[in-house]
Amino acid sequence: MMILISILVLGVMGLVFAGLLGFAADYFRVEEDPRVGQLMAVLPGGNCGACGFAGCRDFSEKLILGDAGVGGCVAGGAKVGEAIAAIMGVQAAAFDRKVATVHCGAKLDQRKPKAHYTGIETCFAVNMVDGGGLACAYGCLGHEDCQAACPFDAIRMEEGLPVIDPEKCTACGNCVTACPRKIISIRPQAFPVVVACSSQDAGAVVRKICPVGCIGCKICVKQVPEVFAVSDNLAVVDYTKTGVSCDAAIDKCPTKCIVRL
Amino acid sequence: MKLFGIFFAAFLINNILLIRFIALCAFFGVSTKVDTSVGMSFAVIFVMTISSAVSWLIYYFILTPFHLEFLRTAVFILTIASLVQLEELYLKKMIPTLYRAMGIYLPLITTNCAILAVAFLAIDYRYNFLESMIYSLGVSAGYALAIILFAYVRERMAAAPIPRWFQGFPIAFITAALMSLAFLGFSGMFGL
Repeated sequence: MMILISILVLGVMGLVFAGLLGFAADYFRVEEDPRVGQLMAVLPGGNCGACGFAGCRDFSEKLILGDAGVGGCVAGGAKVGEAIAAIMGVQAAAFDRKVATVHCGAKLDQRKPKAHYTGIETCFAVNMVDGGGLACAYGCLGHEDCQAACPFDAIRMEEGLPVIDPEKCTACGNCVTACPRKIISIRPQAFPVVVACSSQDAGAVVRKICPVGCIGCKICVKQVPEVFAVSDNLAVVDYTKTGVSCDAAIDKCPTKCIVRL
Repeated sequence: MKLFGIFFAAFLINNILLIRFIALCAFFGVSTKVDTSVGMSFAVIFVMTISSAVSWLIYYFILTPFHLEFLRTAVFILTIASLVQLEELYLKKMIPTLYRAMGIYLPLITTNCAILAVAFLAIDYRYNFLESMIYSLGVSAGYALAIILFAYVRERMAAAPIPRWFQGFPIAFITAALMSLAFLGFSGMFGL
């Protein structure tokens, strides 16, 4: 008798829950664009977030809303970009390959020390104690956090500075997040001009502590006003202005902090 | 006062993660970043409170009248699994922002042992409905406290030069053990 009741009660509960779920699935159905499923199938599915959205699903939803570009999937590259374009029914624009760039050019012997640091040898830790022994409050600390964060082995250290291999770099942005000083950024590979400095100190301060720092003199702005601008004592490159020659600015830069890679 | 005692005991003194060591899989799995542990905490608070209420009702209004108390394991698992599915469907339609904030953690919690443990413990302690609600709130708040604190410690540890043999889970377990010792200090407060 007990067995019978048990079977009945469990069975009825199971049925009730199943019915409830079935009803809820119908009642609470959210209409979803069928293209989301198609897009999810072509995307890498790694949810790396390099596109700037929460994951592949979020990216596909934003694509349909028109908030994301068809070439936005950095990890997938040109192939995925074409597949996305085919689903969305637009012509695939030339895939704009991006790479990481380091905005500091001070090699080990060019860095002015201000104290002797003995502690945990990671940039994260050094940055917490006011930059360890480095006089420059913006420059590279050289403890290889970016190298450790790179999943593609694209960063090697030369004279205390990270050097990025553009062939291996996929612009995933891990080094950008890993760098506590925020001196790594992502730029289009087709535009190989970089301001190798992040210092927002006034020119006089920079001159005292670094031979290759940006002093905010605006000579580059005078030479190539389309591309360069100076804000917070620091020259910045407008990477949307492709095809403008920057040679004049690179030649005239007094501290040679604008470099061609 | 009794309700406060129940809440406080569940929140700190018998902290589900650090004193009872229940639901350790998620404790180590999603505590590497503060963001994810906060998402997990809110999903746990939400699911645990609702599921313990429903399990209490089912135990006292379905299982007890039929003298089927021995079936509670199977019945509670069935209840919690369907309930989480139902909540997921409901949130997706009605409160999409909350659904997105909880994200993947909501379905993951279906198999979280803490949810089942709370449903059992509330019955073992012979709590009435209100007491069992307060109890599950206390447990889930304790869960949130422990996992968020632990995530902060682990974020800091990511920067430390840990010997290779201790990297990852070994050092995480040592940290959890130390935190657990610290939480032992709460035992005996208010005579609980």
